[in-house]
Amino acid sequence: MTAFEIPDTAVVVRARLLENADDLDALFVLAALRAQDGLVAEGISILERVLDLNPTYPGGWRFKATLHRMRGEDEAERSAWARSEAIEG
Amino acid sequence: MSAAAPVVRLKICMAGESVVGKTSLIRRYVLDEYDDRYLATLGTKITKKAMTVPGPKGTDPVTVHAILWDIMGRPTVRELLREAYYHGAEGILLVADGTRKETLASLDDWHRSIRSVAGDIPTLGLVNKHDLDPDPRLAPEGIKAFFEKRGWSWAYSSAKTGEGVEEGFRRIVELVLKDRPAS
Repeated sequence: MTAFEIPDTAVVVRARLLENADDLDALFVLAALRAQDGLVAEGISILERVLDLNPTYPGGWRFKATLHRMRGEDEAERSAWARSEAIEG
Repeated sequence: MSAAAPVVRLKICMAGESVVGKTSLIRRYVLDEYDDRYLATLGTKITKKAMTVPGPKGTDPVTVHAILWDIMGRPTVRELLREAYYHGAEGILLVADGTRKETLASLDDWHRSIRSVAGDIPTLGLVNKHDLDPDPRLAPEGIKAFFEKRGWSWAYSSAKTGEGVEEGFRRIVELVLKDRPAS
């Protein structure tokens, strides 16, 4: 059987960001973890950094649309969704 | 002169718990490589693979560009990210680890989450790490019954030896093509 423990997501994210503060995958998951903790605005802010660095980050715009919806920001949600449709179809 | 056959683009989502071998399966299939070291996937990785498969219903072969979404196997934020990851998916490749029984049972949650966004799309299960000693709690009859009960095709695989890998990816693409309305 698999002989090692699966590390906690937050621990992996922290370790990756210590190695590289611009690790897009780690930042993306950090945004999700923050939103999960109720810090949706902070999650959006982190996600915007991801999308600044890579505007085609997989699932990035759709996730941004989700977070804006959670905050009741209809126009921002529509705009993010439109970007995701343009990029990912 | 006949026009070139159109290329079909398909989004296939790979899902399953951490360390079941999703990334290794893609690596084996696309690069024919295997690496024993484990590096957790964070977020998602997209890999494109071109393949030619028999046309559904006996038509001419079809060129497919499969877009493989290797989704991190951490359920912590699965629900929050489901729209971001599963929107537009046409097929699901669910991966369990044959050395850990709990990874098979968890496929229901992954499937439910994907279906809630992508609808009732074709699903194939892979019971990976078939090169290793199986979890003694996972009898072959139990695995078979699990998949049959849900109506999902399935196979054993090993990213390490290559067993069942190419067949698995081809099979899910064939299932998706078969499921698509004729154009």
